[in-house]
Amino acid sequence: MRLLRLREVKPFSQGHAASHQLGWNWTPHLSLSPKRLKILAASLSCCGCPTGKGMSWAQAILLARGLSRGWGGICSTALTGAPFSQVTPQAPRGLHCSTAAHQPDSPLVPRPPEPQRGLVKALAPHEELFRQAPDGVRDKASFVQAVQNFTQYNVHKRGHVDFIYLALRKMREYGVERDLAIYNLLLDIFPKEVFRPRNIFHSIFLHYPRQQECGIAVLEQMENHGVMPNKETEFLLTQIFGRKSYPMLKFVRMKLWFTRFKNINPFPVPRDLPQDPVDLARLALRHMEPDLSARVTVYQMPLSKDSTDATDPTEPHIIGIQSPDQQAALAHHDPARPIFVEGPFSLWLRDKCVYYHILRADLLPPEEREKGSLKPPSLAWKGCGLEGAAPVPTAQTEGLSLLTVEEGPVFAICMAGAHDQATLAKWIQGLQETNPTLARIPVVFRLSASSGELLASSSGLEEPPLTPPEGREEEENNQQRQQQSQS
Amino acid sequence: MALVHKLLNGTYILRKCPKPGVASCPFLSTRFADYCSSSLEKPVAAPGKAPSQRKTEGNLEGHHQREVALDITSPEDKPEVSFDKAIKEEIKDHFRRLKDDIVNHWIGPEGRPLHEVLMEQAKVVWQFRGKEDLDKWIVTSDKTIGGRSEVFLKMGRNNQSALLYGTLSSEAPQDGESGRSGYCAMISKIPTGPFERKRFYDWSQFNTLYLRVRGDGRPWMVNIREDTDIIQRKDQMYSYFMFTRGGPYWQEVKIPFSKFFFSNRGRIRDAQYKLLLDKISSIGFTLADKVDGPFFLEIDFIGVFTDPAHTEEFAYENSPELNPRLFK
Repeated sequence: MRLLRLREVKPFSQGHAASHQLGWNWTPHLSLSPKRLKILAASLSCCGCPTGKGMSWAQAILLARGLSRGWGGICSTALTGAPFSQVTPQAPRGLHCSTAAHQPDSPLVPRPPEPQRGLVKALAPHEELFRQAPDGVRDKASFVQAVQNFTQYNVHKRGHVDFIYLALRKMREYGVERDLAIYNLLLDIFPKEVFRPRNIFHSIFLHYPRQQECGIAVLEQMENHGVMPNKETEFLLTQIFGRKSYPMLKFVRMKLWFTRFKNINPFPVPRDLPQDPVDLARLALRHMEPDLSARVTVYQMPLSKDSTDATDPTEPHIIGIQSPDQQAALAHHDPARPIFVEGPFSLWLRDKCVYYHILRADLLPPEEREKGSLKPPSLAWKGCGLEGAAPVPTAQTEGLSLLTVEEGPVFAICMAGAHDQATLAKWIQGLQETNPTLARIPVVFRLSASSGELLASSSGLEEPPLTPPEGREEEENNQQRQQQSQS
Repeated sequence: MALVHKLLNGTYILRKCPKPGVASCPFLSTRFADYCSSSLEKPVAAPGKAPSQRKTEGNLEGHHQREVALDITSPEDKPEVSFDKAIKEEIKDHFRRLKDDIVNHWIGPEGRPLHEVLMEQAKVVWQFRGKEDLDKWIVTSDKTIGGRSEVFLKMGRNNQSALLYGTLSSEAPQDGESGRSGYCAMISKIPTGPFERKRFYDWSQFNTLYLRVRGDGRPWMVNIREDTDIIQRKDQMYSYFMFTRGGPYWQEVKIPFSKFFFSNRGRIRDAQYKLLLDKISSIGFTLADKVDGPFFLEIDFIGVFTDPAHTEEFAYENSPELNPRLFK
C-alpha cells in the first residue's frame, strides 16, 4: 500500500496532527520553486530503482507534500525508498540515484538539529511566529500576538490549517488551553463564507475536508479540556462551515452532552485548586470526610518562606480533621489495644495528588464487640467504618450489606507536609488536646517506606513484613508512653 | 484450561488488525467525528476500541493476549506437567457441568427454585474473597497500543477486597496514528457454561448497580456490554461514570441502569437507547482521565439490586436536532 508509506515514518515529536500534516493537510496551492522541482525530479528518478516498482502520480504528490513540509533528512531517506524500519541518513542508494536528493537544502528545508542533541525536531512551517520572544513570558497576550502576526502576515491566510494545528499544540505551553476566547480567536483565523456548501454537490461530498477536520480538531481540544463553547463559537462555525457541516454537528453534540454531564459528580472539586498547601489540605480533608460536623484543625503552620524553601520547611504544615462521632469513639477505646497511624495514602484532586494519614484501630474480634454501646451511624454515612455495630441495611440492600468488608474504625485523618514519624508524632500530640484519652493509648506507626507509595504497598503489608519495623515501633511505644507520662 | 491451550495455541490477535474502518478509508481518522457519533470528555477514541476487541465471538483468546502478562495475580502457578491428564480432567469437568446444567434446568433458572429467583431483590454478582475470584477479570491498559500505562490486579488487605492499581501515563505511542493515550481497564470475563459455551447474566428484575469501592478520588467509567449472540455488536457498550471520593472510608456507588448511555467504538451515539438487562455479557471499569500518575481502586463487591424509589426508565431523550429520523 503505497499510500501508507509516508504515514509510517514516525513523527518524532508531533504526534497526531503531524501525521495529518504529512499526508493530508496541504493547502490547495503547492508552490514549487525551481530548485524544489529539481529535487522532486531527482527523487522521482531515483525512487523507482531500488525497489523496482514504478512511481505513481499519487506517490509523487505525496513526495512533493513531504518536501514542502520540510522534513529534511527524513524525507531524503523516504525518497530513496529505503525500508522504514531502518531509516538512517545514509540509506543504501541505487546506481541511478543522483546525489541531489541528499544535499541539505537549507534555504528551502529547515535543517533539523543534530541527533546528538536529543530528539530530532522538524520545525513546523509557522513556528517562528511563536518564537518571537524566546525570553519573554509565554502567556495569553503573547499567544494572541503570535496569532495576530499570522493574520497580518498573510492576507490570504495561506497555510491556516497548519497554523491552527500548530497553535493548538502550543496552547498548553502558553497556559491558555481552557480559555474560550482563544479558541474563538483560532476559529476566527479561518476565512469566512468560503467553505460553506453552496449546492447539493457540495453537501453530498465532504466540502473542504481538511478544513472541516481542522475545525473539528479545535472543537475536540475544547472538549478534552472541558471548555463549553458559546454563541460566538456557534456563529463563527456557521459563518465558516455552514449549518450542515461536521464541525457544526460536533458543536451541537457538545452542547447537548456537556449540559447533560455537567453536574453528575457527587463530590465536585473546584477547577482552580488553591495553591497554598494549607488551604489545599483543608479542601482535601473536607472532601474526604463525609460528616459535615467534623472540625478541621491546623496543628502547625509552615514556616515563612524567607529563609527556608517552601517545599522543604523545617516545620511542615499539619492539618487534621476529626468529627464528634470519632472523638466519642476514641474516648471509648480500650487503652489496652494499640491504635495505628497508617499512611501515606494518596488522594487525587483533579490533577493534584496529596497524601494523608489516618489514625485507626484494628477491628475488635467478634466476641468482644458490644452491640449497641455506640450509637449506630446514620444511614447517610453507611460505610464510615466507625463501629463494632454493622452498618444499618435497608430492606433492599440487606443481602448486600452482609458481605461488606469490616475494618477497624478510623478516628482521625491528617495531612502533613512531611511523612515522617516526627511530624506525625506532633499530630498525635495535637490530637491529645481534644482527646485526653489518647495519652493512655499506645500509638503504633505503620508508615510505608516512601511517601510516594500507593495504598497497595501499605495495605498489602501482611504481618510478616511488619515484624521488623514493629520491633522499632515497640520502642516508639515506650517513648510515647514516657513522653505522655512526663507531659 | 489445558484443552483450551491445545486448541488455541498460537492464536494471537493483533491490536491493529480489526480496525478496517480506519485503515481503509484514509479520510476517516480517529479524530474525525463519525457520522452518527460524538465523542465524550473522557474516553479516547482509539483506545476505547481496544477493550471492545476483547469481546469477539466466543472469545477465549483473551487468555493468550499480552495483557495476561500484566496481570500478576498468579505468578506462582506451576506449569502443568502432563497435558493429557489435564485434558482428561477437563473433559470430565465439562461433562459434569453439562449434567449439572441439565439438572438445574429442571429446578429453575440458574439452578435455584423459581420463587426464590422472582422474589430476589439484591444479588451479589462478583465478590473478591480469593484468587479464583480474581481470575474472572481481565486487566488491560494502553500497553496494547504501545502506551506506557501499567495496571495490576491483586487481592487487597486480608483477602477481603480486590485492589486494582497501577500507573497511568497519557504519553501517546509514537506510531503515527494515535494522538491520545492513557487508559486502564478491568473487564470481567464472559461467563461460560459447559464446553465453554457463552452465557450471559439476566438482571431484568433489578434496576440499580451497587458497588462498594474505595478509590483515590479519580473518576472511573463503568461499562456494560450486552451479549453478542444474535448480532455482532462487539463495539457497543453502555457506560456511565463512577466518581470516587477518595479517603479511608468505603464508598457505596449506586448507579441505576437507566443512566447508562450508549456508545459505539468509544464515541457516544446520537441515538440513545436504554440498556436492556436480560442479556448482559460483561462489566468493566476504565480509567482514562488524562492525568498521569499512580492510581488505585479497591473493590469489595459488585452487586445489583432493585431500588423501588427509582422509577426513571431512561435518562437521555433523543433530540430532534441530532436525530430527525427518529421523530418523523
